[in-house]
Amino acid sequence: MTAARARQELVAGGDLVPVGTRPPIATYTRRLWQRRHFLVAEARARVAAGTRQTILGTAWLVLSPVLDGVTYYLIFGLLLETHRGIENFLGYLVVGVFLFSFTSRCVSGGAQSITSGRAMIRAFSFPRASLPVAVVVREVLNMAWVFTAMVLLVAALPPVERVTWRVLLLPLVFALQVVLCTGLALLVARWTAAVPDVKVLIRFAMRLWLYGSAVFFSIDRFVDHPTVVRIMEANPMFVVLDVARDVLLYGVTPAPGSWAVLAAWAFGLLAVGYLVFWSAEDTYALA
Amino acid sequence: MPWPDLVDESATVVVDDLSMRYHVTADADEAGLGRTARTVRALVGRGPSMIVRAISSVSFVAHGGEQIGIVGQNGSGKSTLLRVVAGLERPSRGRVLATSQPVLIGVNAALQPELSGAQNIRLGCLAMGLDPDRARAAVPEVAELADLGDAIRRPMKSYSSGMAARLRFAIATAANPHILLIDEALATGDAAFRERSEARMEALRRDAGTVFLVSHAARTIEETCTRALWLEHGRVVLDGPAADVALRYRRFAWALAKNRPNQARKIIDAARQAHEEVAVHVLRTPAPRGIARHARPRVRPRTPAGVTARTREEI
Repeated sequence: MTAARARQELVAGGDLVPVGTRPPIATYTRRLWQRRHFLVAEARARVAAGTRQTILGTAWLVLSPVLDGVTYYLIFGLLLETHRGIENFLGYLVVGVFLFSFTSRCVSGGAQSITSGRAMIRAFSFPRASLPVAVVVREVLNMAWVFTAMVLLVAALPPVERVTWRVLLLPLVFALQVVLCTGLALLVARWTAAVPDVKVLIRFAMRLWLYGSAVFFSIDRFVDHPTVVRIMEANPMFVVLDVARDVLLYGVTPAPGSWAVLAAWAFGLLAVGYLVFWSAEDTYALA
Repeated sequence: MPWPDLVDESATVVVDDLSMRYHVTADADEAGLGRTARTVRALVGRGPSMIVRAISSVSFVAHGGEQIGIVGQNGSGKSTLLRVVAGLERPSRGRVLATSQPVLIGVNAALQPELSGAQNIRLGCLAMGLDPDRARAAVPEVAELADLGDAIRRPMKSYSSGMAARLRFAIATAANPHILLIDEALATGDAAFRERSEARMEALRRDAGTVFLVSHAARTIEETCTRALWLEHGRVVLDGPAADVALRYRRFAWALAKNRPNQARKIIDAARQAHEEVAVHVLRTPAPRGIARHARPRVRPRTPAGVTARTREEI
C-alpha cells in the first residue's frame, strides 16, 4: 500500500479506549445499571404513548384479558366443557389469562424493542439491553392495573375463595415471572434483530405456549399420559399459573419442587438471554 | 522510514486504517445477471447484492481543541465516517479509539414522537448517562438553546423538521460531550439559531473538546473549523488547515458544477499530491520522561462539570 511514504504518527494510548466495540460483561452490566433512570423514563414514556393511541387507553390492559377470558369461557368452558374437574373455573381462567397476558406482552414487546428503538440506537450510545429491559419495566408498570383487576375479579366471581396467608406469596411468584420474562425478552430481541422473520414465528410459538400452559383446562385431563404431565410440569408458565392459583384460589402451599423448577427456569433464562444479547451488542445499529 | 521521536499525548480521537463496506441489493439488470439467476432471486425475494465501499483505509488523529470539518461530495463517506467514529456502526476493518464517548448529532435521529419536546430533552439526557437531577436541570438550558417557545410542551411529532433538528442539536450539547460529531445540523435553522449554536460549539471547543462537522457548505467549514478532511469515494484526498482544504474543495466543486471535469481532476490530483498518508501507532505504555513532547500545545481536557467526568470514566 502507500505505507512506504506514510507519515508515522505515534500516539500515547494512555487515555484512549476503543469506540463501538462490545465492552466486557462486567463493564456492560455496570453501564446498564448507570442507565437505570433512563430505563424507567423510557418505560414510562412508552406507557404514556401507548395509552394515547386508543380512546380507552389504559383500560385496554384490563379489557383485553377480560375479553380473552370471556372467549375462552364460551368456547372451552361452555362448548368443550374443559371446566370439568376444575374447582372455581372462573377464577382459574382469570388467573391464567391475566398472568399469561403479561408474558405474551413482554415477549412481543421485547421482540420489537430493537426495531422500534432504532432511532434511539442511532442517536445515543447506551447499553442496548436497556431497550428490551425497558419493555419489561413498562409491562410491570402496566401490571399494577392488571393485578388490581385480577384480584377484584377473583374476589367478585363466585365461589368465594379461602383467603389465607399464602396470598402473600403471590408477589414472589410474580417476581420470578418478571425474571423469566426479562430473559425471554432479551433472547427474542437478539433473534428478531438478527432475523426479522422471527417476529412472525414468535406469534405461533406464543399461541402454542398458551395452549400448553393449562390456561383454560386442567392438567388432570392427562393423568393417563405421564409424559405429557411431565412435560407440562417442566413448562415454567404452567408452574407460574399453577403456583399462583394455589396461593390465590385454593389456599394451598405450593410444592417446593414447583418453586425450584420456576426459579431454575427464571434465572437460567435470564443468564442465557443476557449473555446472548450482550454477545451481539455491536450489531444492533445495523439491524 | 525514520520513526519520529515525538509522541502525541493530546490525541482525543484516533482513527486507525478504517474501512467500511456494505452489502446492498442492486438492480438486477445493472448487476449483469442472467435470466435464471434473476428468477431464483425473485423467488426468494432478494435482489442481487453489491458491495459498496463507503470508507477505505482512512487514518487520522484528532486533538483537543480542534474543530475538524469534513468535506466531500454526496456519497463520499462523510456521514458513514461520523457514524463509525461515534461507535454506532461497526467498521469492516480498522478501529477507532477515543478518550471519551463521541456524541453524534444527526439529522436523521428521531426521538420519541409521542413525547413533548421537554420530555424528550429529559429522556435524551438520561440516555446519554446524566443522572435525573442533572437531566431535569438541563431542560431549561436546552430549551433556551433550541428556542422553540411554547412548542417545547407539544408532542415532537407536531414539529417541523427544522424545529426537530434544532432540538436534537440542543440535546446533544447538553451532556457537554468532549467529542462532538455534527452532521449538517447547522444547516437548519435561522440566522439567530445558527449564531447561538456556533457560540455553543465554540464553548465546547474551549473546554478542550474536539468537534467534527460534516457539511456540504465548504464556506461554513472555512469559517468555523481549524482543520479539514476532504473525502472522495471513501478515501482521504487531503487533510490539513481548514482554509486551504476548503478552498481547494470549493474550487473542485465549482469546476464540477461548471462541467469542467479536466480542471476538477487537476485540482483533486494536486490535492492528493499535497496529502501525506498517515500510519497511526498507538503506544500502550506511557512514554518515558525526557522524550520530546509533541510540538502542539498540550491541551489537557478539563473536566468542568461532574457530567463530563462521568462520561469519561464510563468508557
